[in-house]
Amino acid sequence: MADSVGKVVIPGDILSEFRASEKTSKVALGPGLRQEGEEVLVTKGGILRHKEPNLYWIDCHQRRYIPAKGEDVIGIVTVKSGDVYRVDIGATQPATLSYLAFEGATKRNRPNVKVGDLVFAKLLVANKDMEPELVCIDSGGHSSGYGVIPADGGFMVHTSLNLVRKILSPNCDILKFLGKNVPFETAVGMNGRIWVKAKTPKDTIVVANAIASSEHMTNAQIRTMIRQLLDKLSGF
Amino acid sequence: MKEVPMSTCEREFILKAIRDRKRIDGRQTYDYRRLKVSFGMERGCCIVDLGDTKVLAQVSGKIEEPKKNRPTEGSIIINLELSPMASPAFEPGRPTESGIEMNRILERNIRDSRAVDTESLCIVAGEKVWSIRADVHVLNDEGNIMDAASIAAITALSHFRRPDVSVMGEEVTVHSPEDRDPVPLSVHHMPVCVTFAFFDQGEFLLVDPNRSEERVMDGRMVVGMNMHREICTLMMSGGMLLVKEQVLRCSQIATVKVAEIIELIQRALDKDAQARQAGEKCGFAESVPTNKITTNRKEATAIDTTAAAQQASQVIQEAGPVDKPMSNMLVQAPGTVQIGEGLVNTWDVDDEDMESEEKEGREKSVTNGREAVATSKPTERKRPVKAGEGTVSHAEGSDSEEEETVMLFQGDDETKSTEEPDSTALMQPSNSDKPAKKKGKKKKAAQK
Amino acid sequence: MQRYYSVGSNMAATDETSALLRSFECEQNLLSRPDGSANVRQGDTSVLAAVYGPGEVKMSEEIIDKATLKVIFKPKIGLPGCAEKLQERLLRNTCESVVLAVLHPRSGVNIVLQVIQDSGSLLSCCINAACMALVDSAVPMKCLVSAVTCAVMEEGRIVLDPDSKQEKESSAVLTFAFDSRENNVVTCSTKGCYTPEKYQECLSACGAASRNISSFFRQAVERRMSKEL
Repeated sequence: MADSVGKVVIPGDILSEFRASEKTSKVALGPGLRQEGEEVLVTKGGILRHKEPNLYWIDCHQRRYIPAKGEDVIGIVTVKSGDVYRVDIGATQPATLSYLAFEGATKRNRPNVKVGDLVFAKLLVANKDMEPELVCIDSGGHSSGYGVIPADGGFMVHTSLNLVRKILSPNCDILKFLGKNVPFETAVGMNGRIWVKAKTPKDTIVVANAIASSEHMTNAQIRTMIRQLLDKLSGF
Repeated sequence: MKEVPMSTCEREFILKAIRDRKRIDGRQTYDYRRLKVSFGMERGCCIVDLGDTKVLAQVSGKIEEPKKNRPTEGSIIINLELSPMASPAFEPGRPTESGIEMNRILERNIRDSRAVDTESLCIVAGEKVWSIRADVHVLNDEGNIMDAASIAAITALSHFRRPDVSVMGEEVTVHSPEDRDPVPLSVHHMPVCVTFAFFDQGEFLLVDPNRSEERVMDGRMVVGMNMHREICTLMMSGGMLLVKEQVLRCSQIATVKVAEIIELIQRALDKDAQARQAGEKCGFAESVPTNKITTNRKEATAIDTTAAAQQASQVIQEAGPVDKPMSNMLVQAPGTVQIGEGLVNTWDVDDEDMESEEKEGREKSVTNGREAVATSKPTERKRPVKAGEGTVSHAEGSDSEEEETVMLFQGDDETKSTEEPDSTALMQPSNSDKPAKKKGKKKKAAQK
Repeated sequence: MQRYYSVGSNMAATDETSALLRSFECEQNLLSRPDGSANVRQGDTSVLAAVYGPGEVKMSEEIIDKATLKVIFKPKIGLPGCAEKLQERLLRNTCESVVLAVLHPRSGVNIVLQVIQDSGSLLSCCINAACMALVDSAVPMKCLVSAVTCAVMEEGRIVLDPDSKQEKESSAVLTFAFDSRENNVVTCSTKGCYTPEKYQECLSACGAASRNISSFFRQAVERRMSKEL
């Protein structure tokens, strides 16, 4: 197994010899891996990744979001129905978001959410057989960053899921490098939606385009791209 | 599948940027996205890339009878296909309202402006004319399908060559391309559509709107124009009112844009013609850069198939000779032929037996069946008789079975009474399964 | 018995007992809208495939315990008819046998195939394109599927990956799709007359060729991921 980590695998490959956790002697299989009897089957084409002690998954270029419990997503409110909002998060079904799942919300004091609003939320329930459910509070009842994203001057870009993971990974310095030159605010949803807001619309456009075009770039290429963009920015 | 809804945040940002004279993709107000025209291997096939919007057009021709009222004119059919490939919102099959609208604009722009000479498509007046069909497939919808489709349609029509036809008296011969060079259609002029998107009740306008701009626009205007600055179509949609000056301004912008686009088409056509003349390889494959990370190429490879024949004969040998089917046709009655035992129950199981799930009974029926099969093999003729015998023997079997059950029942009772003559308890743990069995049997007996 | 093997369209014969697959090219992720797309070119034959899903599905088409797979085959000229429906069914059955539909119940996966150029071996090119598009879209799959077409010529020799001229001259055209794991036959579609011996011969010749294509698929994914290794 150790020799396959970091290598490209394709659907149909059989893997074995996973390193189990010492405490529980279990192996955790993430997206793209599936247990079939004694073997582990690869179901997606990509790179096999491993995280200590026992986590394995496949990194691939996926665009369609599959909800996973605990992930942060950006959703678009599509319908208000009864005591829930229906929120589009790009999955097979719209997710539900309760009126009460906001900080300080009570039955009388409803949050001000309109159809078309963006919400940054956490997936509370996510499995293949059930409707996904979102919340905008943490377990302590605080907003901790979640909630409705104000519609004043920010912009959202739709990207591949891989790009989101890439941006959030500590090895990628696009956000850091970009932030040094153009200050901006951002919210990154694991469902391939990135909201950005800089001081001016012009800066916002630049940041959004820089992020959207960095999918197939290495760190060095990203740096050159950003430098070029900034040069043009003065003339744009 | 539904399209992803648009949030108010995006909508407002795009509108705000437009008011600031900025576009999300960094273009200026009157800029087109990158336009690329490439040709396929066949004549009359082209792909137009307008930014990420991708449209494929293919022209084909066939000989048909002309319309009664226009006996000397060929026909031109333009079919715009909003393929479900282009967007999740497009359904296969029936066209949408916007699809019909765009198809109609294309027809008006190309056919109704008489861009292609239809009279030269006539072969024999009133009998045979060419019917030219242009299929335009939208492959990826990133906005402004209209312009891309109109460019693709007219380019494909100019690129198309129909087989040469000669008429000798009554006889019409269609020459193959090897025989005689195919002839191009006579394209009088090249009308191309330019789309304008309007925002804030016509105050702001943009050329070549992309998908997000299309979703927030108030309305649009499509101007179909040719090189000679003649307007071939003009279509305005959306619930907005425009001032006169705005329309004139649009038509002026269109003249510039159309000139640019037609120059590009012409250049592409010339380049393709040169390549074809030089006998170079042409087609989409040649226009795709192969150094991209997402492309992979493998040269023609030889596959060693020497083992194939050997393996094949081995497999066939292992499988052994195929049993030759016996000619077991039966003539049951004059005029009918029967193969197999379709009409007679060949399982030798009759309905009564199916009902009984008695173990012995089943065993019996199996053996019965075996006998029947064994005896039936040598001669086919006797079969119906055999089957009769089978049923007879079977009836016996089922009879005896009934007797047996009765006996068993009695026997059971007897043993019980003999075994435990003085016991008052009805249920004994040792033979607790017996009464259950008995019950089951009773039921069966009752059924019979 | 002497056997001859032919070569692909415009290639010179290198060896009498070897057959040639035409040049094979694949481009992934070339369309921005679908969740996965691929263009596969085998010689001059070219097919564009796009995959949407797993996404929303109509209530009437919903399957309670697995994803609904839909294949739409678009001919280049004219409207789709009966032949296209047959092709769609064949492709759907092929894809259904490799896609792990149970992982996404009550959802829909749409596969759209557009013929760009038909120069023979169209069916195998369609299957290969659909497979690459599925890999690109990261729809969970049991294994990959690679298809090879071969033609039995009048005189009995077998041509692998025939072009349209060879197809026309042949007495039978056979297409086999194999899974990448055990090289078992997933789909078999034939046209014309041939003997059982010829069938077996075609099967093992195509089987050998399909391994070549499977390894090409792996290369394509490896190349795509090369920057992130």
